[in-house]
Amino acid sequence: MLPSKTLRELRRQRHRLLVALTLAGFGLTVVGLLRLQVAEGQKYAKLAKGNRVRPEILRAPRGTIYDRNGELLVDSAPSFGIVFRPFPAESARRALETMSPVWLARVGALVELDSAEVRRRVNFANLTGQSAMLRHDAPFAVLARVEESRSELPGIEVQVEPLRHYPHGTLAAHLLGYAREISSSELDTLRDAGYVSGDLIGRTGVERSYENFLRGRDGVEYVVVNARGRRVSTLRESGARTPVPGLDLVLTLDLKVQRALEEVMADVRRGAAVVLDPRDGGILAMVSRPAYDPSEFSHGLTRARWKELSEGGANPLLDRSIQGVYPPGSTFKVVTMSAALARGVVRPGTRLAPCTGGLNYGGRRFGCWEHRGHGSLDLIEALQHSCDVYFYQVGLRLGLAGLEQPAKALGLGARTGVDLPQEARGLIPNAAYYDRHWGAGLWRSGLLLNLAIGQGELLLTPLQLALVTAEVASNGRPLRPHVVQRVRGAREFRPARPVQLGLPADPAIWQPVQEAMERAVAAGTGAAARVPGVRVGGKTGTAQNPHGEDHALFVCYAPVDSPRVAVAIVVENAGHGGSVCAPRAGEMMRRLFLPDSLQRRSARPALSDSARPAAPDSGVVDGD
Amino acid sequence: MPLLLAALALVCLGLLMVYSATSIPGVHQGLWARQLAWAGIAFAVAWVVAGIHYRAYDALAWPLYIVSIGLLVLVLVKGSSAMGAKRWLDLGPLHFQPSELAKVATVILLARRFDQEKLDLRRFWPWFSALLIVLVPFALVAKEPDLGTSLTFPVILIAMYFWAGMPVGQLLLGLSPVFNAALFFITGGLWWSAGLVAVLLGAARQRLTTLIMVLLLNIGVGYALPHVWNQMHDYQKRRIETFLNPGEDPYRAGYQIIQSRIAIGSGGLKGMGYLKGTQKGLAFLPMRHTDFIFSVVGEEWGLLGTVTVVVLYALLVLRGLRLALVARSGFASLLAAGVVSALFYHIMVNILMTIGWAPVTGLPLPLISYGGTALVANGIQIGLLQNVAIRRMEL
Repeated sequence: MLPSKTLRELRRQRHRLLVALTLAGFGLTVVGLLRLQVAEGQKYAKLAKGNRVRPEILRAPRGTIYDRNGELLVDSAPSFGIVFRPFPAESARRALETMSPVWLARVGALVELDSAEVRRRVNFANLTGQSAMLRHDAPFAVLARVEESRSELPGIEVQVEPLRHYPHGTLAAHLLGYAREISSSELDTLRDAGYVSGDLIGRTGVERSYENFLRGRDGVEYVVVNARGRRVSTLRESGARTPVPGLDLVLTLDLKVQRALEEVMADVRRGAAVVLDPRDGGILAMVSRPAYDPSEFSHGLTRARWKELSEGGANPLLDRSIQGVYPPGSTFKVVTMSAALARGVVRPGTRLAPCTGGLNYGGRRFGCWEHRGHGSLDLIEALQHSCDVYFYQVGLRLGLAGLEQPAKALGLGARTGVDLPQEARGLIPNAAYYDRHWGAGLWRSGLLLNLAIGQGELLLTPLQLALVTAEVASNGRPLRPHVVQRVRGAREFRPARPVQLGLPADPAIWQPVQEAMERAVAAGTGAAARVPGVRVGGKTGTAQNPHGEDHALFVCYAPVDSPRVAVAIVVENAGHGGSVCAPRAGEMMRRLFLPDSLQRRSARPALSDSARPAAPDSGVVDGD
Repeated sequence: MPLLLAALALVCLGLLMVYSATSIPGVHQGLWARQLAWAGIAFAVAWVVAGIHYRAYDALAWPLYIVSIGLLVLVLVKGSSAMGAKRWLDLGPLHFQPSELAKVATVILLARRFDQEKLDLRRFWPWFSALLIVLVPFALVAKEPDLGTSLTFPVILIAMYFWAGMPVGQLLLGLSPVFNAALFFITGGLWWSAGLVAVLLGAARQRLTTLIMVLLLNIGVGYALPHVWNQMHDYQKRRIETFLNPGEDPYRAGYQIIQSRIAIGSGGLKGMGYLKGTQKGLAFLPMRHTDFIFSVVGEEWGLLGTVTVVVLYALLVLRGLRLALVARSGFASLLAAGVVSALFYHIMVNILMTIGWAPVTGLPLPLISYGGTALVANGIQIGLLQNVAIRRMEL
């Protein structure tokens, strides 16, 4: 329909306004064009003559990592890299030279990359105007060759760059992780987060989980260069940005404890060990074997070496302390006992049917590791001597859910939420799990017996083992394992809260468990972990391994009256926890708690020969 | 006729520029041939769109709108992504950008809604329903995320409110949260914002309830702004930051702007001559055949070329505005106004971006930039304007 008369009148006015607005808009663009093309045309013509403006990235130094006492763990040191700098446009002929197979092959040989890769990076540099990093931390001989062949290899230059430096080598390698140059596929997704080619990015460990704190922010300046690629001045109007250094981290790690743990784990082929502070869940030390040296990554790995590291049978890059899952064996009896007390199905003094070396259930005989039988025991004695028969009966009283729920409340079967990447969940099976795997109703409650003594489908990470031990030591208080204590310059940073609920802080639950664990070390299966003058509570474990020799486990904490360390040690395919792991824990604690003079007596020989019983005077030759 | 001539001239200029920008060896070489084919298709589309009486569009407004919204949802679900954004639907060999269709459909639907004998935009439902109509595609496109394109929708809405006769005071009052946010962003002071709101409230002479609503809206925006900011993609923040402070994000957007300024500036008065530009020569100018094609115009044809392009665009827009005034029916008039506002927004944002006076939004230059869907969409827009032009003498 036709607009009304008044509206047409209104539109006539408004049309004039819109015309004025349009003219103003286009006028504005013309003003901008006049400024750019006439007033400043000369200046830009000069710049364009060789396209002499080049963004130069000022890399932000990555944050430094310290232990809890301020000891240096990781820092950055200057190094010399080989870069390609794109050319001003006037030397188009020379730019084309860079595409010649001869040039590519020579450069490739110099920087040890194949020429397709060199070509890709050089192309990208030409496209963006940025320098392309071709080789990090080049050795002096290569630098000298670059300087010599400058005229034949146009565009190739030496550049100073910060290099990640791990002064302690393999020490805490898995926990610290490593940082490596960002890959081109990562760049595609992360470019908008401010990453540029040649930046370092944390791949594993703390380097990865705290990437956003550590990386800082690169700066840039626009550099005007002459035809030979030499810097003449910096472009002012573009607004250079100064780099913002990454933030420094202070870990909960204690270098002293870490060193002790590294040494007692030195001869382990495959395994892991964790030391937690039971007061706050801070990780004091963490070791995974086999280890690798993160500096190898800073210097650039050869393809063969990378293959060896990532695919080798022992898989050194795997952090067994948080990514390795193990059946806990008898160490799990600590959990079973806590669950039983929390649920009230037994009391510390309860005597169940005496151990005769086995228990018949459901038409099957479930054996005790002590074939001669333990006789009549109460709960505390049962844990002290690790009696399987007693714990079978506890398991039956608890039921599947009665075991699962307290275990989950302690943080098992789920990620602990430690601030390290790719943590494994482990497994605490429940009825739904068995229904899924065996079919509903097709499994028998006999498997409950196996679970109660830590065999069967149960899987725990060494960190979870240490966590449970720490929680027992601190009366069931839930803890969040963490490795970063403070971020310098980020005052609002706080370690996160626990993910699990914990169990009630009732002394009626925890005192018996603590007493039993102390007895297991003082006069039981964990005797090799004794430390003169220090009260230690612990539990050994041997996990049946269908693929080979049993895994050895040991958990402990000390001092019992005011716990300062909670330890878990797992050695793969090594046999019994009491003879293989307990001596290592004992040795480590002696180093921590005893003055130097008393340490001499420690069981050093026992470490080198792990098959030999460590504490023959105890009268107990490894439990279970 | 002047409309069609200006559009044709711009398309031809665009073809020449795309040829030049893709003439150097590299991945984009030879794209001009495809652009030529697209130009042919766009012309045919414009012809067909102009041929059908606009009454048909009026009648089909709702179905068109609903289909385009459906496609926008589809693109979010199944679209192909580029640079972290889902904007395209893959149709075999063709890429289709549903936001282009949504723009046109929204204009048509708004034109239909506003074309009423007793339309009173001071009443709640008339203006609010229009706001809802625009909010849906705006939100969907912003979610893709395509910030630049999504802002086309509010621009269309404001223009059509204005053309449908909304009182200026009311329009300003409605926009006050936006001004407010901008003012707060620039000055960082609450007093300026409070002052602005007070002045507007006083000047608007509205009912008390309206005033209170506007006040609450302003306060709400104040609260929401930081949250919205946190919700935005990193690259969106970066673009806004780059605009507000060119020193930020120097690697990509900043570099593009600098290269673009050098290209345009170095063109001087007469330019370096066709096919002789050096900035594009070594691929120093990224996206030179799409978003930054205007820089190639500036480099090769100098001020002469750029001003010619600007004048042609001005002709196009002014002609479109004229059509909105002389259109035979209310619907046609509003249609023309809506189409022109979208075109004007794209032109301004793109050109100002290439000279570094607007953020890098990724909006193509209408009729000139390389890109099939965009060109066909422009064809539809020109066709609609031409449609109104042909029938302005109708009885």
